[in-house]
Parts: sequence; C-alpha cells; structure tokens
Amino acid sequence: MSHSRFNRRQFLSSSASLAKGSLLVLSVPAIVTACREASESRQQQAAFANLGAEEAAEFTAIAARIIPSDDTPGATEAGVIYFMDNVLGDPEREPILEALRDGLRELQYQIATEYNLGFFIELDVQQQDELLRANERTAFFNTMRYLTIAGTFSLPEYGGNRDNIGYNIIGFENPGGWAPPFGFYDADYRERGE
Amino acid sequence: MAAASFPTREEVDFVVIGSGAAGGIMAKELSTAGHSVVVLEQGPHLQAADFKHDEWGYDHNFELTWGKPQGHPQTFRKSEQDTAEERDMVCGYAHNVGGSSMHFSGNFWRFRPIDFMEASVRGSVAGTNFSDWPISYEDLEPYYTKVDWEIGVSGLQGPWDPPRSREYPCPPMPIKGPDVLLERAAKGMGLNPYPAPVAILSQPHNGRPGCIHCGFCNGFGCEVNAKSSSLVTMMPLALDSGNCELRTHATVFRIETNEQGRASEVLYYDAEGNEQSQRTKAVVLCANGAETPRLLLLSASSRFPDGLANSSGFVGRNLMFNGYTSVMGLFDEPVNGYKSIPATRVIHDFYELDPALGFYGGGGIDARHPSRGTPMGFALMSGEVFGGASWGSEYKRNLAYQFSHVAAFDGHTTSLPLDSNNITLDDNVQDRWGRPAIRCTYMDHPDDLSTMQWFLDKTTELMEAAGASNVVGFYPENGQEGNVHLLGTCRMGADPDSSVIDPFHRSHDVPNLFLCDGSSLVTSGRGQPTMTIMALAFRAADYINQAAQRNEI
Repeated sequence: MSHSRFNRRQFLSSSASLAKGSLLVLSVPAIVTACREASESRQQQAAFANLGAEEAAEFTAIAARIIPSDDTPGATEAGVIYFMDNVLGDPEREPILEALRDGLRELQYQIATEYNLGFFIELDVQQQDELLRANERTAFFNTMRYLTIAGTFSLPEYGGNRDNIGYNIIGFENPGGWAPPFGFYDADYRERGE
Repeated sequence: MAAASFPTREEVDFVVIGSGAAGGIMAKELSTAGHSVVVLEQGPHLQAADFKHDEWGYDHNFELTWGKPQGHPQTFRKSEQDTAEERDMVCGYAHNVGGSSMHFSGNFWRFRPIDFMEASVRGSVAGTNFSDWPISYEDLEPYYTKVDWEIGVSGLQGPWDPPRSREYPCPPMPIKGPDVLLERAAKGMGLNPYPAPVAILSQPHNGRPGCIHCGFCNGFGCEVNAKSSSLVTMMPLALDSGNCELRTHATVFRIETNEQGRASEVLYYDAEGNEQSQRTKAVVLCANGAETPRLLLLSASSRFPDGLANSSGFVGRNLMFNGYTSVMGLFDEPVNGYKSIPATRVIHDFYELDPALGFYGGGGIDARHPSRGTPMGFALMSGEVFGGASWGSEYKRNLAYQFSHVAAFDGHTTSLPLDSNNITLDDNVQDRWGRPAIRCTYMDHPDDLSTMQWFLDKTTELMEAAGASNVVGFYPENGQEGNVHLLGTCRMGADPDSSVIDPFHRSHDVPNLFLCDGSSLVTSGRGQPTMTIMALAFRAADYINQAAQRNEI
C-alpha cells in the first residue's frame, strides 16, 4: 500500500483550480453561441473557425498522444480539436491561443533541431511521446493536456466528446439517472441485509 | 394568484435582498403573512430545464457562480499586511434565484446543542472571538423541524441524531458504495455511522418528485427539482401569495437611511443597468456572508461612517470557512461513487475533539466520490493524484479503472472566529458596476489546521481499515484561499458592542434592518451550515411577522 501526502498544489480537488498548471485562464463569454457553429462545422467537416489547418493537424496529433486511440477510441475520435477550435475562439482566450501558437513553434523548433523534421505529425509515435515527455513541465504541454481532457469529457455541445466517446472510455453511461444498487459494495450490502 | 408588481416610488412593507437559503424563506414567510414584499436578486430565474451536466460551463466558465469573467472579480490576501491579489473567485456562491441552495451538495446536518454553548462548556480560545450563541438548540429546534417538512429533508431519526420533535418527512437515501465502505470500516472501529440527512428527496414530497440519482448535485442545479432549494420550495409559494414581486438581475449597491436613521430605500441597478430605488418600510438583507457585509460597508453615510449597522466594527469580521480534509483510495470492485447524491452516511463520533489534544476543534466525516462524481473533474485530477501517468495509454487505462473504483472519505471541520479573517472593500478593484470588489482576508487558525490534520489522520485510518490501496490524502495545510461557506461576518449577539444583530436578527443600530444568512452565525458548526441558515430564517421571519403585527418594525 503506498502512502503519500499531497500538498495543495499537487492535489487539486477542484477541477477549476487545475487551470493554474496551464495557460488556460478561466473565462467565459459567447461560448454557447459558438457551440452551434462548432457542432455544425464538425458535422460538415468544414474548415476550422479559429485554427489554421496546419496547427489544427499538429494539435490533433498532440491530443492523440495525450488520450490515444488504442483498444478504445481517443481524443481524435472524440473530436477534441473541434472543442479546442470552439473554446479558443473566445476573444478573451486569444492570449491563450497565441501562447499555444508560440508553444507549437517552440516544439517545432525542437523537432527541427533534434529530428531534422518540420512537424509533429512527421514524427513516429515513439518520437512524439519522447518529445512530449521532454516537454511535460511546460505551460504549452499542460494547456494541451488540459484542453484535451476537457474536450474529451465536456458536454458534446462544446464540440468534443462526440457520441459520448469520452464518457464511454470511463464507463460513464450518462443515462440521465440511475437506480440502486449503484455498484458492487452497495449491492453486497443489500444482499447481506446490513 | 398572479405575482405582484409594485411601483418603486411607493413604500412596500419589506424589501428582501437575495433569494437564497434565507432570502427565499423570508420572501415566503413575509408575503404569505400578507405583507407586500419585493425580492431583489442579482442573478436570473433559472429553472430545472435550464440545468445541465455542464462541467465546462459551470466549473470552468463560472456560469452559475459568476466570477471575474462575468465582471465580478474578488481579491484575496492571507493577512492585512499583504496586498490583496485579484482572483477569478474567492468566496463562491451561485448568482440566481435560490442562491447557493440551488447548487449546494444538499448535506443538511443540524447543528447540535453543544454548538450554541461551546465556548462556556469547552472554554474560550485566547485571541479569538469564540463565544456562545445568544440562543440555544432548543430555541431553534422547532424551526429545524419546520425546515425538515417545508423544505423537504431525507434522513433517519436515531440515537445518533440531535434531539428532534418530529421525524424526517422522507426516509434516508439509499446507501452508496463509498458509504458502505465507510460504514463497515467505522463499525469495525467501534464508531456509529448513520444515514446522512440531506435536502434531497428520497420520495415525492410537497408536490416534488424523488431523486433520480443522476449524480450531479454539488455545483449543479437539480434537473428534476428533487433538491430542496429555495428556488423550488419557497419562491414558488412567495410568488403564488400575490404579495411578492421578484426582480431578477437587480444588483443592489446601497441601502439608504432617512433622518431617523431608519432604512428607507434600496438602490439597485436593474437588468438594463438603470439605477432604481425601491422605497420600503423595512429591509431584510439575506445576500450571504460575503455580500451582506459588503453592502453594509457600501452603505456608509455621515450618520453611519463605518458602514450601516457597524457601530460595533463587527461587520465583515469573524469570517469562517469551515475546514475540510480528503483522503482517497482505490478498491478492488466497482464502487461507482459518481452515481446518486454526494454522501449517504456520516460519522459524528468526533463532533468534539478531546480538549486534552491541546487544541479546539471537531467535525464530521462522510464518504464521497473525490471529484463530486464529475467525469471531467476526475479526469483532470486522475494520474497526478495516484502518482501514475498523467497522459497516454497508461493514463487512459488508469483513469477508466479509477473513476469507478475510487472512494474518498472527507472531514468537515470547525473554524474559529477571528478579527483577522474578514470581508472588506477593495478600493483598487471594481466589479462591472463600479462597486469595490469583495476583499477576503483569511488564514486558518492554528487550532483549525490541527483539527484538519487530526481528521486527515482519522480518515486515513478509516480508509486503510476499509481495505483501500493507493491511499492519498490532503488538507489545505498552508491555509484556505477561498470557500463556499461564508459564515459569521455579521454575527448575532445580545451585546451591541460585539455583535451586529440581536438574537432575532434585527440590527442593533438600524431598527428596521434585519440581516439573516450565513453572516448571522456565531460559530461555524461542523461544515454543513445551510440547514441552520434556513432554520434561523424561519425563526427570524416568525419574529418579524409578530413584530409587524405589533407595529414594532
């Protein structure tokens, strides 16, 4: 049995506070109205509203290493890139988008110097993972991780979690409600008449 | 009956500021007694159909609570020597009809007799304002029972429960996996776990349906009206009385007093941003433990230079958050703690810690899903918490397992009232209306931190006894920097020199100004204050109605 004591910074009980590790500043606006557009562009495979094709391809590939498509679908199938395109279109989040673009350029610089290639998508998955591991502590990576997870597990109307793919990964059926017994232990409790 | 509508330039009997846990009850009790009431609420009138399982919207965009993105920044500092930093949110509360009773967890512990007289039983704590309440549990008990039945509470009466005059209207909620694990471990240690009282209906009551166990209680609005908020219990009755007008998107910025020193008008910005003023015979301020002191301080005048009702200097002081601890572990079989309500068992064996420990404190323990059962919230914390991968296939595999196999045992603990923990105005930061921002100054008392440490150790012991692996725990050992419990900032007391309101919530300084919400509390209780806020509101409303009958407002 492992024991460890987490301090507040490590243990982030509120998901909102996890933004601190990334560039993502919590901010609102016009997201709801942007949602319909995101969902339409996703359905039509239209061009992205806010991301360029090249950076979208790079971000998609990075997200695919954070939540990979393996024995179950991952960030790509969940449409995380459409979530990113949507929420980064919020004018208040423009500095975050700019910082992500800077971070991507920095990553591509590393790709050029270390692998003599131009783009993240040109690396094989081992190289991609190796590069991301080397960048694990950067604000760029943490923001990408944050957005990938948020895009996988938010309501589909924000552009990601397509067909509840994120929920399915963790076995969250999202039926709207449940009836007891809820799990093994309460079923056992009832059976034993405790 | 159609909802009432009153001209602003004619006096109404009461303006109630805020429609939350206390304000909703005030609106209902005063209007159904025949008084004309205008309720001013900052936020919108959202209904069940408006609420969704929307983690991104609520947790990340502050759509229910509001924060800096909506033009409501707050500032925080640990001590008065520090410069306060602007934050997205420090003191959290929902901005909507029903206030935070709309999005709270539903945990609904009564205070116990000891809470009202602990300073004299336990002894004072040097350097603090720890004191007895001017009322007793017996004074409040009929109103706790009134809350049980009028608001709708599920639970089970037993020897573990504080004394009660009537049984719960609804049986306890069905036990969940985390609570089975807690209960078994606790019984093995000779403790007395019992069904948690909750303001969530286990069966239909007062025309509302029972819970469908969707799991999105804490931080979310109930999608079926099973959570017993002011929004769905009190405000409909107030509006049906024909004597109550609800004005939403109404941001109060000042309570005006007349030559007699009585509250006479309430000034606010309406939805269009136009300045309005409602004339009134009396004001009932129920804006919560952060907004109530803020508004009193904003209402300073030549007659009340330090803020309205603040001759004692106690407005804004003694802010108490309650402490909290959390320990998590993984189990072999699916726990599925993300289903149904936050907690179904509670342990109150440690309500008062042994004074021989050398510090003051006490609390309760319950079992939960660590991220309130939310998929995104858990996915963001998973990995780092248990020390495994935080991205990639291993992360994804671990996450899928952990989400269903995790349980958390949480401690909810006391906070001491201190002069140095307070709400003041920050003249350097304004909200969207130009009002000075809420400035929160807070550092947990050493005894409060010791209490949290004690509860972390005890819950860790319970978690190990429950058979968990990967046990990890935490409490805010460097001090809390925000909370949703906002208590004590306009405390009740018999002595006008050391309190803001009298034992019936009438302000000592302004006879027709009543304050009732978390700010009224003298001590913090053990971490679930809403039930007590509601009971105080019913009691205060009774008194106000009687005083009005005697023409003594």
